[in-house]
Amino acid sequence: MKIFKIIALVALVVFVGIQFIPTTLNQSDIVYETDFMIVNNVSETIQSKFKISCYDCHSNNTAYPWYHKIQPIAWFMGRHIEDGKAELNFNEWGNYSDRRKKSKIKSIISQIKDGKMPLSSYTLIHGRAKLSESDEELIIKWIDDLKIVYKR
Amino acid sequence: MKHSTVITGVLAIAFIALTVTSCNGNKKADNNDDRHHSEVKSDDHSNMNHDNSDGHHDKYTHKGERAIDINAQKNVTTSPIIDAYIQIKNGLVATDEAATAKGGTVLLTAFSKFDMTTLKDDTHKEYMEIYESAKEQAEHIVKSAIDHQREHFETLSTDINDLITLLGTEKTLYQDFCPMANNNKGAYWLSEVEAIKNPYFGSKMMKCGSIKRQIN
Repeated sequence: MKIFKIIALVALVVFVGIQFIPTTLNQSDIVYETDFMIVNNVSETIQSKFKISCYDCHSNNTAYPWYHKIQPIAWFMGRHIEDGKAELNFNEWGNYSDRRKKSKIKSIISQIKDGKMPLSSYTLIHGRAKLSESDEELIIKWIDDLKIVYKR
Repeated sequence: MKHSTVITGVLAIAFIALTVTSCNGNKKADNNDDRHHSEVKSDDHSNMNHDNSDGHHDKYTHKGERAIDINAQKNVTTSPIIDAYIQIKNGLVATDEAATAKGGTVLLTAFSKFDMTTLKDDTHKEYMEIYESAKEQAEHIVKSAIDHQREHFETLSTDINDLITLLGTEKTLYQDFCPMANNNKGAYWLSEVEAIKNPYFGSKMMKCGSIKRQIN
């Protein structure tokens, strides 16, 4: 019995301890000239779908939920955002080469089609971010047309 | 006495646990830093490239298919890159995820060893664009499941084709086309053998496709 008490105590101390480790937030209020929405002159409807479903992890500004301050949740989220931005950062779109833009468009389409994005672990909590079938169709059709712009 | 030993023990464990986790935290911060640096670097390149508007590659046919010109220049320096690409291709023909992934690693090594100091101005810019893309495709091929590997292979094939157009090769290669790949939009690939062996479908449709062009 005593051993459980000790383990619980250790766990508690560690849990409290890790709360003090500082984390950097992915937040920015800059309007990027190179942003996907500005570069491509995107309509309001499509814009809001991208912003709600993609921008939390694929831009320099995350709308954090209240529990983001709790460790180890903050680490978990930080990792996801870091990976997401390395893969695709919509704020940086204008800086990508046309070759990269085309390959990104292709990947966006296939990820949405396969239901891999937005991540199910993300939509589980952010119900609003989930793309309905008609949303998916709308986005894919729209972004497919965009491909023609980036002829290479 | 016993009581105080237990407390000291608990404190010691907690301290160690904390130290370990904060070490991880630091390490992660370092990684972030590295990545940030490399990101900045690649951004510089793309900025640079951005000024370079589409000049000579406007290879869209009416169906949106890409016809690819091949440079007849004999160049041996591109061989390790092409060999690695062929290794990936053969992994996909065999529907062998692990072999394909290994080819991806070999390709990354080949690119890292490629000497680009001889490339000047526009050629260097275009090489950097191709490299940036091919590297990204290879990284995904290394860590993905076979269907995803095939998707990235399609983009990679374009990159390698363009690399050969840009720099040339001394190898004899066949540019093949399968109209059913890429969701029936069609896709190209390069092969070292004349016989059609389809990397997009493997054994499901091994013979699907035709030779569009022979290089060398």
